[in-house]
Amino acid sequence: MFLYRLVYILMPIGIFLSLLWVPPANILGDASRILYFHVPVAWVSFLAFIIAGIHSIVLLIKKSDIPYREAMAYNSAAIGMVFTVLTVITGSIWAKVSWGHFWNWDPRETSIVILMLIYIAYFSLFSALKSNPNRWGISSVYLIISMIIAPFLIFIVPRVYPSLHPDTIINQDKKIHLEASMRITLFFLVVTFTLLYGYIYKITNKLSLIIIKLRSSHDI
Amino acid sequence: MIRRSLNFVIRGLILQNRIVKLLKKDFYIEFRSRASINISLAFAGITTLSVSLTSATMNLPFRVHSILIWVIIFFSAMNSLSHIFIREEEEGTSIFLSIHSEAEEIYIAKLLFNFILFIVITVVVTPLYLFFMQIWPENFIFFASSVFCGSTALSSITTTLGAIVAKTSMRSSLFTVISFPLTIPVLWISINLTASSLEGGSVDLLNLLFLLAFSGVIVSFSYLLFKFIWMEQ
Repeated sequence: MFLYRLVYILMPIGIFLSLLWVPPANILGDASRILYFHVPVAWVSFLAFIIAGIHSIVLLIKKSDIPYREAMAYNSAAIGMVFTVLTVITGSIWAKVSWGHFWNWDPRETSIVILMLIYIAYFSLFSALKSNPNRWGISSVYLIISMIIAPFLIFIVPRVYPSLHPDTIINQDKKIHLEASMRITLFFLVVTFTLLYGYIYKITNKLSLIIIKLRSSHDI
Repeated sequence: MIRRSLNFVIRGLILQNRIVKLLKKDFYIEFRSRASINISLAFAGITTLSVSLTSATMNLPFRVHSILIWVIIFFSAMNSLSHIFIREEEEGTSIFLSIHSEAEEIYIAKLLFNFILFIVITVVVTPLYLFFMQIWPENFIFFASSVFCGSTALSSITTTLGAIVAKTSMRSSLFTVISFPLTIPVLWISINLTASSLEGGSVDLLNLLFLLAFSGVIVSFSYLLFKFIWMEQ
């Protein structure tokens, strides 16, 4: 837990680095600073999805501690959903500044929206299975199947189909050329947002554990 | 060694026999009621006619034709693909089925049924569309392969999702919600392939193989996971 609490120190430093320390990008100017938030939240939205999928696999293999493991998968998906919405919002702002429109149906924009739809579908399924005692198994299968398909959407489609995404805008040779200070800040914020995810995840899991214990004591 | 392989062959034959029996049962029931196939074919016919009625005189680009073909196929099939599992739940035969057969047998039988149903829908929709819209694919073999591979991939993913929604309280409305994000990659690639074949492009073997590989991966995982959906744990 101590490691995750570092976020209280690292986040203000990260905000300082991204807004004040790092120089603006050559073409985009100060608008490019949104990169330091957009990339980390996009990373966390996918990480949360993978963690939810891994918990589902463990749940199906071990078949023990079912309510808690089910809650762990659900919590990770819930946090992932919030971060996916943040990714869409920051991405739209970026798109408006660089391409003139909030939404362009670029392959990368489309893939993050599909990830959001997968999360929405998972929550819809989860609530529709409320009275089913086998909810943990069915919802886990859905998450695992989604997890198999998601990498294709997030990593392969944007690389196969032509995209307007920054790689081609910032540089002519389609490679990420960031100055050392930019790289450091980006990496720093990716780590900080990962810790933030871990911190929120720990708290929500503790809360779920309390609810599960309360419910089981009520049942007794 | 010989004994072990003999056992393996015998078990395979028994499994095959039971799958064939389940498949026969599904076809008999479907043939008796013709509920899903009738609705799907009627839906496919009506949408194709509606589209051609409103846009046959327009000179639509091939990409738009490809999108329309796949939208009609997708929504026609959506009406019936989950029906095979929902029927078992509604008629109260799912518990009997779980006791009588292994999860893997049920999965393979239902997958084959859905695959055949999807191919039937595709075989009806595609010629109807081509006839009414008065277009002809420049590269017919590529066109047929793209439709076949797309249908295989869609039927493989929707079979598992059909089993999932059959266990929920809001079946038909939820099916579209949970299947849409997972079928997008298949639709995306199928639309591109069909558009390319209509324009007379060269055969895109890589994307065709992708659709088949996608089906293979989904079927393998679904085969392993189906027991968690269908059987009471």
